[in-house]
Amino acid sequence: MSDAVAFSTIRELGRQYRAKKLSPVEVTKTLLARIEKLDPGLHAFVTLTPERALQDAQAAEDALARGDARPLLGVPIGHKDIYLTRGIRTTGGSALFADFVPEDQSTVVTKWADAGTVMMGKLITHEFAFGLQFPGHKFPAAKNPWNVEHIPGGSSSGSGAALAAGFVHGATGSDTGGSIRGPAAFCGISGIKPTYGRASRAGVMTLSWTLDHTGPMARTVEDCAYLLQAMAGHDPRDPACSTRAVDDYVGGLQGSVKGLRIGVPRNYFFMDLDPELKQAFETALGVLKGLGAEVRDLTIPAFDLARSFFLILVTEAYAYHERDLKTKPELYGDVLRERLMSGALVTASEYVQAQRVRMQTCAEVDEAMKSVDVLVTPTTIGPAPSFKASYDTSLGFPRSNMGPFNLTGQPTVAVPCGFTKSGLPLGFQLSGRAFEETTVLRLGHAYQQATDWHTRRPNV
Amino acid sequence: MADEPKAPEMSMDELRARIAAAGVTIAENRQGMVKKLLEEALAPLRRVDSRTIRPLEPAVVFDAAGPHVGTPS
Repeated sequence: MSDAVAFSTIRELGRQYRAKKLSPVEVTKTLLARIEKLDPGLHAFVTLTPERALQDAQAAEDALARGDARPLLGVPIGHKDIYLTRGIRTTGGSALFADFVPEDQSTVVTKWADAGTVMMGKLITHEFAFGLQFPGHKFPAAKNPWNVEHIPGGSSSGSGAALAAGFVHGATGSDTGGSIRGPAAFCGISGIKPTYGRASRAGVMTLSWTLDHTGPMARTVEDCAYLLQAMAGHDPRDPACSTRAVDDYVGGLQGSVKGLRIGVPRNYFFMDLDPELKQAFETALGVLKGLGAEVRDLTIPAFDLARSFFLILVTEAYAYHERDLKTKPELYGDVLRERLMSGALVTASEYVQAQRVRMQTCAEVDEAMKSVDVLVTPTTIGPAPSFKASYDTSLGFPRSNMGPFNLTGQPTVAVPCGFTKSGLPLGFQLSGRAFEETTVLRLGHAYQQATDWHTRRPNV
Repeated sequence: MADEPKAPEMSMDELRARIAAAGVTIAENRQGMVKKLLEEALAPLRRVDSRTIRPLEPAVVFDAAGPHVGTPS
């Protein structure tokens, strides 16, 4: 029963609850046992909260008995450990906050609790959502369930690993340069970075104010739609949070994708692309065409300037961390400290120019999106690298296929689309116009109805 | 598709000047890494004549306002 419960979709879990074939307490106990058995080899959780989980599960069970119809009732979830949780340790993956127990709570954590989810615990993050944990770090790095010699991606590393391993049915992530989509691609799961301002960041540790997004991760696009529905919406505590009404993401999944116009920007995203990923991507384009979408190539020149996004990221990150970097540098992880310090070396004019280039990118993308509804690109430039390769700092900061959509703020969903011969997941991403989450979710869902990549499970 | 143009070099002297101007300390054995990070990120800007970028400011537009509750300090 463990595998069937662990990898059930959210919709199926709800159906089983309401048919009284499963109960939230029973499912929670099953998953806690699974985590206890398997997580010592994966390190997805930094703090497990079994008592809280069983309390939440009992409350969900009582609500179900009263006929409560909330779709996330009794759904086990985990939170990336940069989301503040009242009364529960929130480390940010850093020695600086190793014992920090907040009194405040992030808006998203409250919203998911109000939706009736079961909180299993806090999921490890790369330190401050930026720096991979190098050997000797305060907290061990999460491992990729498909191959523990490889990273699960980051910075939402615990979220990706926990979902691939069947520990939770949904998780929060954050995405400043791909931290939802990268782990989704590397772990063979799904995740959406909604439009900038669609979901609240209040009570979530900052990396870069103008690039940070919050969003859900899950095994299927449909599950992401359920989770985003309970996460999106205005929050006066986040000044960037939009007042726009929230669409019906779950209801919107069922529409047709026939005639949807898909653009493939052939510049930037295909440089140094892994050959197996390129093959999987082109095959996925064929599936989308088979679903009735119109696929065409295009070029968006400003994407070739996208690496300047790193200047914005490190400058804003340094501004956030400056005081602690100067007074407690020894509490930052090796390498992360210097990466953050590089933000102090960016001149004011370089930061301004990077923001101006960003707006040029937004303008060019806006223009392109008058003739297409969705952009599709490979999520990463290859499969998950090994830990050994990731620890080689001489390679610099990897070129990102995801950062461009943090610059533009477009909603982007990551979807698995195959595997390498060695068994590592591969993925592509679908980017829509601002606040058109429904379009990319519908297309991603249609793709998953036509393929089975999202149903493959690692041998943990 | 075109290959990515080679990043313009940043000399170690320029890096050290930036470190001194910023008043921060970066370990000698990490300076090569920092140089590479900045070199690659600055490359696109160094290829662009900033006066040719269309005036599109402000860079960031918020469509809602409200008091921000901070994260831990």
